[in-house]
Amino acid sequence: MIRLYLSLRRSVALCLLLATSVAFAQERVVTGKITSADDGSAIPGVNILEKGTSNGTVSDADGNYRISVGANATLVFSFVGYASQEAVVGGRSTVDVSMASDVTALSEIVVVGYGSQEKKEITSSVVSLSTEQFNRGNINDPTQLLQGKVPGLSIYNRGGDPNSAATIRLRGISTVGANTSPLVVIDGVIGASLDNVDPNDIETINVLKDGSAAAIYGSRGSSGVILVTTKRGSKKAGGLSAEYGGFVAAATVLRAQPVMSASEYIAAGGNNLGSVTDWQDEVTRTGITNVHNIAIGGGNQNTTFRMSTNFRNVQGVLVGSGFEQVNTRANLTHSALDNKLKIDLNMSLTNRNSNFSFNEALRYAVLFNPTAPIRFPNGNFYQAILFDNFNPVAIIEQNINKGKRKNLNYNANIGYSITDNLSINANYGQQFETNFNGEYYSRNSLFRGLNRGGLARRYTSDRSFTLFETYATYSKSVNKINFDVSGGYSFQQDEFEDLFIEMGNFPSDALGYNALETSGDRLSGIADLVNINSNASPQNRIIATFARVNLTFDNAIFFNASVRREGSSKLGADNQYGIFPAAGLGVDMTKYFSLGRFDALKVRVGYGVTGSLPNESGLAQDLFGYGLGSGGTVTKIRNANPDLRWEQKEEINAGIDFGFGGKLSGTFDVYTRNIRDFILEQPANLIDRAVYPVGSLFFNAGALNTRGVELALNYNSVQIGQVTWNPGIVLSSYRTVLDEFIIDEQTRANLGAPGQNGTNMIKVKVGEEIGQIWGPVFDGVEGNGAPRFKDINGDGQVISAQGSALAPNGDFQKLGNGIPAMELGWTNQLTFKNWDLNAFFRAAFGHSLVNNFRAFYEPIDPGAINSYNRIITDKAVSGLTVAQFSSLYVEKADFLKLDNITLGYNFKTNRLKNLRAFFNIQNAFVLTNYTGIDPEPVLADPGSADNGGFAPLTPDVLSPGIDRRNSYFTSRTFTFGVNIGL
Amino acid sequence: MKHLVKYSLMTVVMFGASSCMDLDEEIRGDFTQNFTPANPGVGVKNNVNKATPSDGLSAAFAAVLNGTANHGSYFSVQEISSDEAVITQKGGDWFDGGIWLDMHRHNFTPTVGGINGAWGDAYNGIQQCNSLLDNGKADKTALSASEAAQIRTLRAYYYWRLLDMFGRVKIITKAGGDAEQATRVQVYNFVESELVAALPDLPAGRQEYGRVSKGAANALLSRLYLNAGVYKGAPEWQKAIDAADAVINSGVYSLSAEYKDVFSPANVENPEHIFVAPFDEATGGGMNFAQMTLHYPSQLTFNLAQQPWNGYSTLEEFYNSYDNADKRKANNFIVGPQTDVAGNPILDLAFDKEDPDGPEINYTPKINQLAPNGSRQAGARLGKFSFKLGQQPNMDNDFPLLRLGEVILNKAEAQFRLGNTAGALTEVNKIRARAGVPALTSLTEGSLLAERGRELFQEALRRTDQIRFGVWGNAWWEKPNTAAKTHQVLMPIPKEQIDASQTSTFKLTQNPGY
Repeated sequence: MIRLYLSLRRSVALCLLLATSVAFAQERVVTGKITSADDGSAIPGVNILEKGTSNGTVSDADGNYRISVGANATLVFSFVGYASQEAVVGGRSTVDVSMASDVTALSEIVVVGYGSQEKKEITSSVVSLSTEQFNRGNINDPTQLLQGKVPGLSIYNRGGDPNSAATIRLRGISTVGANTSPLVVIDGVIGASLDNVDPNDIETINVLKDGSAAAIYGSRGSSGVILVTTKRGSKKAGGLSAEYGGFVAAATVLRAQPVMSASEYIAAGGNNLGSVTDWQDEVTRTGITNVHNIAIGGGNQNTTFRMSTNFRNVQGVLVGSGFEQVNTRANLTHSALDNKLKIDLNMSLTNRNSNFSFNEALRYAVLFNPTAPIRFPNGNFYQAILFDNFNPVAIIEQNINKGKRKNLNYNANIGYSITDNLSINANYGQQFETNFNGEYYSRNSLFRGLNRGGLARRYTSDRSFTLFETYATYSKSVNKINFDVSGGYSFQQDEFEDLFIEMGNFPSDALGYNALETSGDRLSGIADLVNINSNASPQNRIIATFARVNLTFDNAIFFNASVRREGSSKLGADNQYGIFPAAGLGVDMTKYFSLGRFDALKVRVGYGVTGSLPNESGLAQDLFGYGLGSGGTVTKIRNANPDLRWEQKEEINAGIDFGFGGKLSGTFDVYTRNIRDFILEQPANLIDRAVYPVGSLFFNAGALNTRGVELALNYNSVQIGQVTWNPGIVLSSYRTVLDEFIIDEQTRANLGAPGQNGTNMIKVKVGEEIGQIWGPVFDGVEGNGAPRFKDINGDGQVISAQGSALAPNGDFQKLGNGIPAMELGWTNQLTFKNWDLNAFFRAAFGHSLVNNFRAFYEPIDPGAINSYNRIITDKAVSGLTVAQFSSLYVEKADFLKLDNITLGYNFKTNRLKNLRAFFNIQNAFVLTNYTGIDPEPVLADPGSADNGGFAPLTPDVLSPGIDRRNSYFTSRTFTFGVNIGL
Repeated sequence: MKHLVKYSLMTVVMFGASSCMDLDEEIRGDFTQNFTPANPGVGVKNNVNKATPSDGLSAAFAAVLNGTANHGSYFSVQEISSDEAVITQKGGDWFDGGIWLDMHRHNFTPTVGGINGAWGDAYNGIQQCNSLLDNGKADKTALSASEAAQIRTLRAYYYWRLLDMFGRVKIITKAGGDAEQATRVQVYNFVESELVAALPDLPAGRQEYGRVSKGAANALLSRLYLNAGVYKGAPEWQKAIDAADAVINSGVYSLSAEYKDVFSPANVENPEHIFVAPFDEATGGGMNFAQMTLHYPSQLTFNLAQQPWNGYSTLEEFYNSYDNADKRKANNFIVGPQTDVAGNPILDLAFDKEDPDGPEINYTPKINQLAPNGSRQAGARLGKFSFKLGQQPNMDNDFPLLRLGEVILNKAEAQFRLGNTAGALTEVNKIRARAGVPALTSLTEGSLLAERGRELFQEALRRTDQIRFGVWGNAWWEKPNTAAKTHQVLMPIPKEQIDASQTSTFKLTQNPGY
């Protein structure tokens, strides 16, 4: 292995060397001043880019710039709020520019895969967001910046558990068995982790939505691509700047699950244990969060740098939950050889200590007897030996659930202009992540600990990722045609190792999980008690070559095409390589037609193919396990499938970008995407067990089709007296149909214990849409308190047992859809003198949720009421005593929330560059008829666990809409913060 | 342009560099086909009961542990569909989509609970057998004649389960092979011919622990022939007697002095055992009876390592079919007030308000109703495989898949069917004598079935017996008369399996009537 590593290092070094050993060529220096066409004032901070290259600079405080360019260079000037301009340098050494303000800007420079383009040249669906458009407030995760802002990008972190990652979906489910989250590219590093970038350090985020844009990323682009660019130092002479940003936030419970009070509970027949305890109140708190960010940046014409440190101390509303995190990031950019050579270095470090606490405490706080005391008079926690019944305060106080994570990444990007037309670029980077988690359950904890004499679980993992990429770009203008051609190579290698140990029977709780050697289970010889697992992935490689051409005719007709040939070590030798082509065409109609008040109208269409692979390795090999049972047995755990092919997504996107009347701008997209050969691991019970009786098999299992529309509208500067109002709206809708599947029809998503195992809530059928909630229809109460169901097929008998869920005579129907029909974001920016107000509303319509709490605990069951408190909602049916899944528990979960409202004030001061204070409320209000904790969609089912069991690890993407019982309570957060610039 | 050429050249050189294009995958975390265990068949020798032999056959024999004594597979289907066990719906508890209520009421559908598990567990075992027969052991050595005969006997046992439960199944005899769905008669003939063919090469005498010898093949043949009328429409009573005699007269097996010893946690190598599923809390998990049957607080009675599930109990009528003097009654059921280890009453703090016993747990044979509000404490619990203190969820008791007691009753029944009531009485009374109950002086079909029921309770044979005695469609507690549904002597082929077979060359079709 060491030898292999060395040889890898040598080869990569060789690759680097080859890529950078290049010839030199001519260049010239251009200077100039940039002014505003409106009032002639200097504009600082304008981006100046040599077209078709990554060579660029920024104007200084007086609007002056200086740049070295090749012969025949064209300079592109861009700045937010101004129409970007191009100027052919020709023989000039001074190029002054007057920029006109442009509110309907289609003119920004947008970073796309392996380079950048002017926005108007882009023929695909790309959304670019910068700092001003980000969500604000108590933001501790980069995905929160984007939530609701990008049409078609669904981001849901239900309840807002600070330790759980959001579910991200672009244009719905893009794959079933593979990675459903978008590919993240940070400063050019493919496959980077958002865990290692602090939200404060992000300058822009671009989302490549359709296949034609993402295809250049090949096999990892199917779920969309998110390009993150971090902040840089300024080139302004003497422009050393320091910034401080900080806030303090207080999170309180916004929505809990309404349950019976102690007196209601007694009246309903519950056992009176003599106390009154509000369990939900006992396990929640006002979570206080402190965040501080310091950044220093500066530079000169040749060198810029920026360093930042972010400190976060975040508390969730669940007692104990939260994390402390320190992140530092450094960027260094250096230009040499008259700007022909540009070196860019980035590094980032994150150290995070989390206390996960126990979401189960929230579940049992809903269920626990409200007349039970927290403790007995002797100080011991009150506990009853009942099924699925644990004192929630005891869960938190007796046990430990913590984790540490460290992320490190660096990359070096070297660009060189060989000639005026030809530049090359090489990027080498590595990324590391280690996790070390520990759980300890006390000897006295009924929850997981008591029967085991104490239980410890430790988990550690280590991941390393190496990237080397290089590409060359050749740009040329001939008559009315500008084109650039790029070609390159990409090498990605991912390695993962982990170790898990679980054992119990400790002599004392004093050392927690730090003394595994004292576990009595070591003497038992029972493998189930001493649970150990270690694993290592192969060196998973992706190797690709790619080429792209961008062609502009008449500065109005734009054509882009690319192709990527990519191979993965995960597939069988004959099927390793896939081809991922893309093409796009756009036309600026204003150039050829008189369109009245339309000041921009671009029509575009794009086509692209991307791929996707599962996270697992060895898909094409027979794998064997060794079991210790019955004296050691060898069993096949996975059957080889050497014929496994790349999963491919083919997408056609058509769109219009327009500006109207100088004020209104918008983007409209329609798309259809066909996902073919999606890869799914089928356990043996889903494939023909007569042929594959054991283990699993990775199949190309089916096909999906998603069609959707997306709309974004922005209106600039509505003047109401001295108040300026900039509203914007994004809307999206899609529908996913299962076109092919190896199983024609099945039900999934088991409701679980108590009493509702074998009860599946989701139907999946070929030819029908994904996300159907399926079950009998509630039709009243029988005399014995059992629910009566509707005779849906009118055959005179009601067949509602789960065994008949799919039978022709079964009385089952679709009860709702777990996926929203429409998602909406509505931005409002208001400014008044030094004040600014930002209000962002977010909504989703048409989705339903199965309220699991109600499904188990709403009927007043005379037996169960002594075990569990009862849910009270206005949907409860009187007289119903038997809990059985039906339409009664499937609720429309449409919602509109004031997601984010910020009031800011910018102080005028001479001593500081800027001073701003703001006050923010997140989740100011939620309008919904949903009776559960959070109406936000559940896009994948986390599965059920009960009685202290551990939930399955992989959420089921075919089963959206199941609101399980471990949901974190939704919080409302108040934030006060300041930003100071020196 | 010169530079472009130069760069292209460099690109070619660069791509030539080996690791730049190397996509070999070297698996590091799992064994691949090259895996040869250092000592095949021996992982753990410290089995607290006894170690199975280091013969490399464990993978196939260990597969009988699946579904034999846990919830949701073969055991559940055989028991819950019969008149000797039930899972009542206890309010919000144990409804489970109605699948076990459907099973009890004989409302069988292709997705009813447990049948897919039973199907999969059997084929898992068959695959392990085929793999050994085709590919040899994990260390690549071939099976000896004796070993091959043992594996064929084991495979015949799995096929017997499929024959008995589903009838029409694929007879797959090659590793990774496929085959057309056979008729029930074909499956019967296959099982018979395999056992007959294996007999000469099987070891004589007592089997090694967890393995089979001639006795197992003969015992299974006696069971097969006893049910021949059901399986192929033509009885084979004399053959059943002959096969049973081959076991009884072999002198290898004898009735255990005490009935309870046959099933206790320390029942290793009981003289009555012919073929066992060698459950072990450390190395042979899969027997979860304590979890399946006991009420939650009964955890305190046995200091169970995990909380039990309060699911299975027996029907009152079945419980009452035992005389009070019958030793088997005391062994097979847990009834009455329950205490913790120290003798204090244990409480169900969520007791039903109507329960006359209040929170103090008292297992009553009478059950108020099947659904929806079955009492939490009602029902005699399944205690035949007795529990030990500090029991893990995986129990230590071996499960006799074939034992002398059954073989004796097989012979008795076949004699009775052929009119030899005197001979039958002799055999039946051997069994009754051990149970401490008076000898019978006359026999009817009914008394024979009842005796088999009392003796073989909880051994997953009741469904088979009820079908053979023609009482399968009768009404019993909370189960309607289903005599008209004659097709229900077979379970439906699981829907999952029919769906999955659509991608195979040979597609499964549903059993007639479903």
